[in-house]
Amino acid sequence: MASLKHTSEKALQMLRSLPRLSLANIRDNPHSRIKTKRGRGQHRGDFHGNGQKRWTVLRLGYDCSNSPFYLRFKYEPYYQGHHLRRQYPPITLKTLQMLIDSNRLDTSRPIDVASLCTTGLFQIFPDEKQFGFQLIDEGAECFKAKINIEVQHASELVIAAIEKNGGVIRTAYYDQKALHALRDPKKFFERGLPIPRRMIPPQDAVEYYSNPKNRGYLADPEAISHERLVLAQKYGYKLPKIEDDPQYNMLIETKDPRQIFYGLEPGIVVNLKDKCIIKPKVDV
Amino acid sequence: MLKLTKLIVSNSGVRNIRILSASCYKSDISLETLYPNSKQNIFTPSPPSLSQEKFNGYIPIDQLQISYDRASGPGGQNVNKVATKVDLRFHVQSANWIPEKAKQQLIENNKMKINKEGFLIIKSDLTRYQQMNLADALEKLRNLIREAEKPKNVELSPETLEKIRKRQEIAANQRLIQKRQKSATKEGRKEPSLDL
Repeated sequence: MASLKHTSEKALQMLRSLPRLSLANIRDNPHSRIKTKRGRGQHRGDFHGNGQKRWTVLRLGYDCSNSPFYLRFKYEPYYQGHHLRRQYPPITLKTLQMLIDSNRLDTSRPIDVASLCTTGLFQIFPDEKQFGFQLIDEGAECFKAKINIEVQHASELVIAAIEKNGGVIRTAYYDQKALHALRDPKKFFERGLPIPRRMIPPQDAVEYYSNPKNRGYLADPEAISHERLVLAQKYGYKLPKIEDDPQYNMLIETKDPRQIFYGLEPGIVVNLKDKCIIKPKVDV
Repeated sequence: MLKLTKLIVSNSGVRNIRILSASCYKSDISLETLYPNSKQNIFTPSPPSLSQEKFNGYIPIDQLQISYDRASGPGGQNVNKVATKVDLRFHVQSANWIPEKAKQQLIENNKMKINKEGFLIIKSDLTRYQQMNLADALEKLRNLIREAEKPKNVELSPETLEKIRKRQEIAANQRLIQKRQKSATKEGRKEPSLDL
């Protein structure tokens, strides 16, 4: 009986009777390979599209003078020390929301550099003067998640967007050694070294991390609570009562300033093979 | 990280993961050492008490009607679609968070911004962000209230009054000169009249 077959069914039926695929019986899709036009021969020869005398291709940076701009000014004072400055690769709130919606980030536990690097989508290279992540306010209008997040820098609008939804944000400093350990915890534990102490921020960063307006990890916690209300009044939202939240204990969970991993103290050696931790007898 | 700590916890015989949580470890620079007199956990502070004397800056957001609209100006599809303009309105007379003294002055100062129903309307499309525009609108509102609280300077010094009078006189003279010149021009365009 003549049945209405779907094109795919017809194709599959054909496949069953066709010979095995090999280099001899396949070819490119039409017009997929474009033959490059060689600069030789009748049409593209002689001056290769650049005329007889009147116009030549000028080298990059040449401005028809004896001393081009890029050679006259070998440096500019405004970027002095740029190679020594701390870098914070950005993460937008939009991306963060996307990760939470697609279950790549677990919001039932605090989020830090380790959680972000474990997603596999972000990487930190401490050797390249990168000191952690910063949150960017792109996507602040669509950010709806309630999270406890710890980053290295965040602007006021970002802090407002997170606290508006009942979340908590803290900015914390990690020195290079601590960051090396935190960005890939498993790799660090495999080395079998004791967990180091996190160092205090450099002089130019201490002020930033001690400021409650930036939700710094060295700031007065009571001042931070006050600043939350101030920010809510500034940006025009009602501050959700965080104490009534069922996830209150998770939201107020913070690391000690000397701590690198949640739940692990400095000095501990994590033994992955025997699946146990070795605590030092003497206080670090 | 979570799995790892769970493994550690279960194998070292500790029952509850909370036992290994952050609150246990206190270093030399822990927040308890740095700020011993502060409440260590985040709490929601109560809003400052309203005083009938001075506006303390606190605005109860739920008593405001905030709506969003599309802004004007260049920007193509983005400005046509994204609602970034903020329209903030509230009934002034029934607002108990504004001191009475300032309220009357506020109404008088902003007659043009108050509609028939008695709602003060503040709009803002300063930035490209909705949240920043809302912050700007609230800032505008606070400034209006603070402006209304300022004592009105009715007393002007005699020197200032003299200055103002002189300026007005000069302006009037200039106006009359201009008027006479124009009049002469127009006369010149007419047919000469023979007055006999």
